[in-house]
Amino acid sequence: MKHLLLLAIALLCGCVEAPPPALSGAPGVPAGWGNEGFLRADRPRAFSFPEDHGPHDGYRSEWWYLTGNLRDRSGRRFGYQFTAFRIALLPQPTPQRGSAWSASHIWMAHLALTDVAGERHHHDERFAREALGLAGAQAEPLRVWVEDWQLSQSAFERPWQLRAASDRFTIELQLAPAHPPRLQGEAGLSRKGRDPGNASYYYSITRLASAGRVRIGDDEFLVDGDSWLDREWSTSALDPDQAGWDWFSLQLDDGSDLMFYRLRDRGGNASPQSAGNLFLADGRRIALRREDVTLTPRRWWRSDDGRSYPVAWTLTLNGPARRFEIEALMDAQLMALSVRYWEGAIEVREAGDRVGHGYLEMTGY
Amino acid sequence: MVSLLHRSGRRHLLRHRWQSALAILGITLGVAVVLAVELANQSARRAFALSLEQIEGRVSHRLVGVGGTLDENFYRQLRRADGLREIAPVIEGEVVLHGERFKLLGLDPLAERPLRSLLPKLDSLQLRTLMTTPDTVLLPYASAARLAIGTNDRIELEIAGERRSVTVAGIAGDSGTAVPDGLLLADIASAQTLLRMPGVISRIELRLNDDDVRKLAARLPAGMRLERAGRRDSTSRALSDAFQTNLSAMSLLALLVGAFLIYNAMTVSVLQRRAQFGTLRLLGVTRGELFRLLLGETLLIGAFGSVLGLLLGWLLAQGLVTLVARTINDLFFSLRVSSLMVQPLDLFRGGLLGILTTLAATLLPALEAARSEPIVVSRRSELETRAHRAVPWLALAGIVSLLAGGAMLVLFRDGLLAGFVALFLLIIGYSLCVPGGVLLITRALQPLTERFGGIGTRLAVRGISASLSRTGLAVAALTLAVATTLAMGTMISSFRTTVSDWLEQTLQGDLYLSLPERANAAAAAQLISDLHRLQGVRELSMGRSRPLELATGQVRLLALQTASRSHRGFTFKGHTLASLWPRFHAGELLLVSEPYAYREHLQAGDSMTLPTPAGPVEFLVGGVFHDYGTNPGLLVMAMSSYRHHWRDQRISTLGIFLHSGQPWEPTISAIRRLTASFGEGASLAANGEIRARSLALFDRTFTVTRVLRLLVVLIAFVGILSAFMAMQLERSREYATLRATGLTPGELLRLVVVQSALLGLLAGVLALPLGWLMGETLIEVINLRSFGWTLQSLLPLPLLGEALLLALSASLLAALYPALRLSRLPPAAAMREE
Repeated sequence: MKHLLLLAIALLCGCVEAPPPALSGAPGVPAGWGNEGFLRADRPRAFSFPEDHGPHDGYRSEWWYLTGNLRDRSGRRFGYQFTAFRIALLPQPTPQRGSAWSASHIWMAHLALTDVAGERHHHDERFAREALGLAGAQAEPLRVWVEDWQLSQSAFERPWQLRAASDRFTIELQLAPAHPPRLQGEAGLSRKGRDPGNASYYYSITRLASAGRVRIGDDEFLVDGDSWLDREWSTSALDPDQAGWDWFSLQLDDGSDLMFYRLRDRGGNASPQSAGNLFLADGRRIALRREDVTLTPRRWWRSDDGRSYPVAWTLTLNGPARRFEIEALMDAQLMALSVRYWEGAIEVREAGDRVGHGYLEMTGY
Repeated sequence: MVSLLHRSGRRHLLRHRWQSALAILGITLGVAVVLAVELANQSARRAFALSLEQIEGRVSHRLVGVGGTLDENFYRQLRRADGLREIAPVIEGEVVLHGERFKLLGLDPLAERPLRSLLPKLDSLQLRTLMTTPDTVLLPYASAARLAIGTNDRIELEIAGERRSVTVAGIAGDSGTAVPDGLLLADIASAQTLLRMPGVISRIELRLNDDDVRKLAARLPAGMRLERAGRRDSTSRALSDAFQTNLSAMSLLALLVGAFLIYNAMTVSVLQRRAQFGTLRLLGVTRGELFRLLLGETLLIGAFGSVLGLLLGWLLAQGLVTLVARTINDLFFSLRVSSLMVQPLDLFRGGLLGILTTLAATLLPALEAARSEPIVVSRRSELETRAHRAVPWLALAGIVSLLAGGAMLVLFRDGLLAGFVALFLLIIGYSLCVPGGVLLITRALQPLTERFGGIGTRLAVRGISASLSRTGLAVAALTLAVATTLAMGTMISSFRTTVSDWLEQTLQGDLYLSLPERANAAAAAQLISDLHRLQGVRELSMGRSRPLELATGQVRLLALQTASRSHRGFTFKGHTLASLWPRFHAGELLLVSEPYAYREHLQAGDSMTLPTPAGPVEFLVGGVFHDYGTNPGLLVMAMSSYRHHWRDQRISTLGIFLHSGQPWEPTISAIRRLTASFGEGASLAANGEIRARSLALFDRTFTVTRVLRLLVVLIAFVGILSAFMAMQLERSREYATLRATGLTPGELLRLVVVQSALLGLLAGVLALPLGWLMGETLIEVINLRSFGWTLQSLLPLPLLGEALLLALSASLLAALYPALRLSRLPPAAAMREE
């Protein structure tokens, strides 16, 4: 889970002021915006691909979330993030009214590039209505686009392509899934709140072999590395008393991948719905409950706006006893956009040795 | 000593409180009018600037189609292929709400943020409603409050003649944030549907750097133009500015009248105290002290009058601002001024203007007083001799000023400012000649009154030239005041007559049918052939009118297929090309409206390039026609030529010529049946109806000028009253002497009344040439330079009569009180008065 940046809708177009402590209000549902008529993620469902790579219009929100660690030939390290959020305005298509501008969905996309050697974190965003071809998504062949940013596939089982350019930086990658989609939660149903309807459908492709280039200003770098795709759709997820979350994705050198999110309540305590999965190299899955993982912040970084984010952690698995030291590749990886959150590339060490990399997202600080 | 001096000054002001009060009233009214106009103008400008700021925001450029609209797909292309980010689509149209003109802006809320913050902080539900519920709008706080409309109310809009019902999804802004009044905001999809603009948008607004501009300009498809923001409506804004400059100038005229009156009042007040000043000088008061006393007194009057003027002006402005805004709204662009925007600086300037005017007007009298010799009684006769000696010099200065004014008009053929400077030179010049005129006329009258008049009349006439130091001035002030009202009246009535004649001339058809913009060509063609078959219809003319974006701003293009009588609808200014109409119909010629031709310095024989969908095409200007419509420019071409170049077969209006001598009603009902399928957007109006409506609009837009004129009349009246009353009171002693030497109260009464009437009449008569001159200048120079209109100038008799009546009634009323007082007072008491 993670990326419950749902309330982005309220922040779209600056129509509402950003809540002062980022997202600390009631994340999820914008006030007054009923869920009536929308489908709910309240029971397990059968997943089917490639259809489920495409949009699920009956649910209120949905995202395609790519993160990854890249290196150029000289070993220069980059982290990147691309997210496309679909937010439905209505459960059914907006009544036809003789205008190609009429829209039932709006889209928000975030793009970021961490340049470790350059000590810069570039980020940008896009908003568009799903009308006139400005933004949208389709399953076959996969195409998700928000204006000139696009994630696409020429045909099923072909590599995915990401092309997105901002004023200052460009990301162009070929992404080849290393394995079929992996279902998170209980067979893809990921509970986020006590209320049975507060859940989402959630699957991941935890490794996509990635190659391509990134451009920063006039400098171009040929890069390769690993990406992680998260797909999630829901209508309502968080409980009102949930204040934020810490989401970890670790890609370990031994071939295993770990995802864990900790939902924090207003008191800063992990809520019982905090959960994750450890996918072993042989494909076996070990479900992680709140009690299975201990998270301890080790170092805090203070952003310009005065908020502090823990950028170094110790993640301890209590079952298969392992202790990961997690450290941001760069402290300043704040997404200072309409929705402010910290999202960045991390390095994973165990007993002093580098054992993998990954991504970390933190909200509600 | 100084305190004694001040006490004497205070005593004087108090003893002559009528006089003081009237002087204060003069200043008050003058300052009030100037300030009111200034506040109204500034408020209108600020409201406009504010709304522009809000609407333009950080927009640096606009992409417009030469035909008035753009293909909406081009927007996607810019977003997706060119990756331009700070751009937003806009659909704009005019709608009528509660009888007021509103601008409907269709926006994409998601594209707005980088460019501006017009859209308020909506909650997400409102945003969703706006984007997904058809026919929903946001109303600015100011408009909502003014029209008592709330969220979720349904309101009726009139759009291109059709009634549409829309829902208010929310209120934009609050009392603190200024989303401009007069605006309706909607999601672009709603606006497109409401305005019936499928597939197109009005423009794309962009924030571009120089590099982007070059790149974009290089690859712009034909039929599109990239222009800098703020260029749009620049013509309308220039016209509106000219209108406001005119108002300011008229308000200054009011102040000038006021200044003259103060000058008069202060001169009289100095004259009254000659003896006292002589005494004071004997007691050792220096000239400087005397000068300062007078200035101090004036300052007091000026300050007091100015403060009152500020208050009154502020009150007046409340009403005036509505009128000014309404005129701008009717004529130039959508503008709503919800409240007076007063800045301390305006008030300061208004106050300062009043005080400075008062001081300037007092300078001469104060110097006069300072010249007082230390003797008990300075001789009055000496003063009059001096006044008489000054007359030729004043006249000479006046003639020089008149010539300078005339020369300016000839030398500077352009420029509004030069026009106004010339106007003021003419006014001052003429006023300086007035004392000479008074002298000449009374001298000419003297032999007549000596022979036919009684003692009172004879004394009255002789008294005028004998006390020229006061009468000359009073008459000059009166002349100016009366002339100003006459000139403004002349201008307004000339304007109205011109427009009315023009309407009669232009509207040659008996009925006019306008079709909605969405009416397609085939339906229109069918309608035309059906109309031709109707019994009562003799002939049809057809027009297609559309906006055209030129480099110089937006104009209207009218394509005409004329009927045999239509040609009479055009009257041309200057020469036209030979065989104008045959060549016009052959598609060679373009006819250009006068305001546009004046602004762009075009005349018959010049060529003009128009952007057509197929690229620029050059046309020859066949003639410049008079046009008093509200357009900043109207270009007329033959329908065949338009259809050829624009590939547009649609029709906007039909002029229907009926057979004479047959009843209209059956034909009208038949036409209505034929047009029923076009819906509400098709409207049929008889020639007379359109004329009446147009004139009603004209009258509405001239309300503010009329109000201003009434204010000037008021000031003139008060001024005359004060000047004459002061003059007569000042002569109390003289009259008392006459009474003592045997003049009966009745004779004295007659003397005073006859003299006043004579002076009033004199001023009235002298005002006629000046009024005419000012009127001509306003019409031929100021209006032409402001708006590019040639008006027929008329000097209607009723206005002349009104001018004389004003002068006479005010002067007679002014004589009443002094005359009664004097005739009742025993001579001995009156003689003691001074």
